[in-house]
Amino acid sequence: MIEADNLSKSYRVADKQPGLMGTLRHFFRRKHKTVEAVKSVSFNIEPGEVVGFLGPNGAGKTTALKMLTGLIHPTDGSVSVAGHRPFARKAAFLKQITLVMGQKQQLLWDLPASESLRINAAIYDIDDTEAKRRIDTLAEMLSLDEELTKPVRKLSLGERMKCELLAALLHNPKVLFLDEPTLGLDVNAQATVRQFLRDYNKEHEATVLLTSHYMADITALCERVMLIHKGSLIYDGSLDGILNQFAPYREVKVELAEPITNGQMDTYGEVQSIDGRVARLIVQRDALTRTVDRLLAERDVCDMTVTDPPIEEVIGRVFTDGVAD
Amino acid sequence: MLRRTRTLLSVSFAHMLEYRAELFLWMLASVMPFIMMGLWVSASSDESANYALGPLEFARYFIAMFIVRQLTMIWVIWDFEWHVVEGRLSPYLLQPMDPVWRFIAGHVAERGARGPFVLVLLVLFFVLYPDAWWVPALRDVGLCVLAVVLAFLLRFMMQYTMAMGCFWVERASGMEAMTFALYMFLSGMVAPLEIFPPSVREIAMWTPFPYLVYFPSTLLVDSAGAAAGGLDIARGFAVLTGWLVVFTLLNRWLWRMGLKHYSAMGA
Amino acid sequence: MTRYLRTLRRFWSASFSAEMEYRANFVVATVVSVLNLVGGVFTIWLFFTGRDDLGGWSMTQALLVMGIFTLLSGVSDALLVPNLSRIVHFVQQGTLDYVLLKPIDSQYYLSTRNLSPWGLPNILFGLGVISYCVVKLDLPPSAFGIAALAVALAMAVVYSLWFMLASITIWFVKVYNVTHVLQSFMEAGKYPMSAFPHAYRVVLTFVIPVAFMTTVPAQLILGKAGGDWFAIAAMLAVGLFIVSRLWWRFALRFYTSASS
Repeated sequence: MIEADNLSKSYRVADKQPGLMGTLRHFFRRKHKTVEAVKSVSFNIEPGEVVGFLGPNGAGKTTALKMLTGLIHPTDGSVSVAGHRPFARKAAFLKQITLVMGQKQQLLWDLPASESLRINAAIYDIDDTEAKRRIDTLAEMLSLDEELTKPVRKLSLGERMKCELLAALLHNPKVLFLDEPTLGLDVNAQATVRQFLRDYNKEHEATVLLTSHYMADITALCERVMLIHKGSLIYDGSLDGILNQFAPYREVKVELAEPITNGQMDTYGEVQSIDGRVARLIVQRDALTRTVDRLLAERDVCDMTVTDPPIEEVIGRVFTDGVAD
Repeated sequence: MLRRTRTLLSVSFAHMLEYRAELFLWMLASVMPFIMMGLWVSASSDESANYALGPLEFARYFIAMFIVRQLTMIWVIWDFEWHVVEGRLSPYLLQPMDPVWRFIAGHVAERGARGPFVLVLLVLFFVLYPDAWWVPALRDVGLCVLAVVLAFLLRFMMQYTMAMGCFWVERASGMEAMTFALYMFLSGMVAPLEIFPPSVREIAMWTPFPYLVYFPSTLLVDSAGAAAGGLDIARGFAVLTGWLVVFTLLNRWLWRMGLKHYSAMGA
Repeated sequence: MTRYLRTLRRFWSASFSAEMEYRANFVVATVVSVLNLVGGVFTIWLFFTGRDDLGGWSMTQALLVMGIFTLLSGVSDALLVPNLSRIVHFVQQGTLDYVLLKPIDSQYYLSTRNLSPWGLPNILFGLGVISYCVVKLDLPPSAFGIAALAVALAMAVVYSLWFMLASITIWFVKVYNVTHVLQSFMEAGKYPMSAFPHAYRVVLTFVIPVAFMTTVPAQLILGKAGGDWFAIAAMLAVGLFIVSRLWWRFALRFYTSASS
């Protein structure tokens, strides 16, 4: 459904020093530098897949999304979405996709969302009875009701986002590009949006590509994730696979019969914390069984649990430590 | 005080330089004096034409008017309206300085950023039309500078007073749109007031408008000639100052009332 | 085609109800129009205090030019200002993305999205002044037909230039004033072209074709200019419109989409 081959984008940006001198220097002679926002990224997404696009701010997620939707032209490489070349922005292509951006809105500010929906119905050439049917279904899925007839400026952020989603999906797109769709929403609203996206994906077998800062969005929706770091794709695979690739360690929590003294556990692994009789250790995965055996043999163990480290932490580590380099 | 002024001006100046493309376009957008100049020079060049001024006097009047307009350009009402609508005014109210100084600093600094463009245009004009060149008397320059400073303050105060409407209604700039039409025709932008019929001229001279454009411009061209043509310079300064006082008082009163209203609404 | 018409109807009914939230604007627009008309007539009259023509045009003929100008300002206030001045906001806030992803011509979307009822006073006054002049000058009734066609062509010229200027924001985001430049030059369109010195006429005909906005239509109505001028005006209008479409397509190639 979505194919990207060696997709790249570089920008020329003005380089300005701060302060009055910087301003004046910039006034007379502008310096530019080239920023590679996306560096030969390739992937292939099948119809119906829900894929999470992860990366820190400025990693190139949004730029990639914009190339996939055809808003910007790739510097190099090729894209195909639903069998179309996005940048041509043919009507047949546009009617199959949608883009939702958490921080930008398409609804008219002064008017109720229903007005914007009427306009979208006309633009996408959906007749009125069909539009009404779709609005009713979507509104029910999103539990929207009188919010649709209130001026948008009077809605809460969560209500507004739900209306935005409705407007973006009125034409039953087959491919959804969602850029931070839950940005700034409270926990309840986030959950509603997630549930809605899951339902929509099931019902329409739509392909979804989603970026988010909230791991919960990703874990709830995506079976497959792509990690992008400094413009390069550093991982593409299942969510669990991230742990295997970037977190080849487990957290071992042991409870001994007697209080633990400092230094006592150092031979088993990297000590995270010691609290009375409980110790938390980080143990390399390949050494796990050996360590557990040793612990059981050498210590008086009352209780022991082995867990995966939290995924946020792993991904956070990848991005800060730059494991990919 | 001096430090505060200097910082405020230099920050405003840097901010204005960021908008230099804007400023350049704004310059281009002020061709009105040249349009009117073309019409009047052309109309008065004819032998049969019978106006109070000749082609050269028209040309000089309109180029002086161009300079005066560049120095007295005010947009505080839109600036203020934007600050209120976007909720940017509230943080300023918490600072130990009346926000009006920020707006004034912005306007003054903008003159600095605009200056080079104005000079280039003036040089270009006199190269193309050397006949219009004149050296104003020192006294005239002094009078004009004084009149321009007062005109700047008056126009600023008029707009800032109308801007106070933002505290009560959403789009106060509508007020400015209405007065701008009066400003356009009564200030001397379409023709120097010598051309007006005496009765219209007499009425106009009691309104604030001619003092914003006509008065400083005509002083720069030739104050003695204007005085001989029936312009009472002393009375002019008196009326100008009078209006400035009226608008300043009105403004301070509305500012206080407005703040009360604004804070009552939860700022 | 029907899709575009249906969209247009929806656009206008939505923006009409949005504008109705600010009803005080109607008073403002009417007062401004009245003052501008009175001031405009006063200015023209001032020229006639020292001579009895303005560039060879009589008072009533010159008023016809003013009437066409007023009508064009009204149409601009209703259609061009509320749409084309907002392109810069679309670019700045990045919501142009949404427009580009709609399966509808983006130039059409950006140019027709809003309709402001506040241009109405100027449209009515403009029509009034034109009618007055046509009757006063004893022109045949066909003059009204010519006027409609000539003003439509003039409007196409104004639109195309305005749109091209407004789309410069694709390159330079911070140019709110760019359309003011055109508006301020159009100020010259209140007066017959022949009232200007020669150099002005060259600029106002060939660089910024203000002449084709008011003077040429007035000449066509008055019968001062013949069919060949009609052809030139039509060619210019159609030509500029096509150029504006090509220009927009070219500009979009440089659209980088704010904030990555």
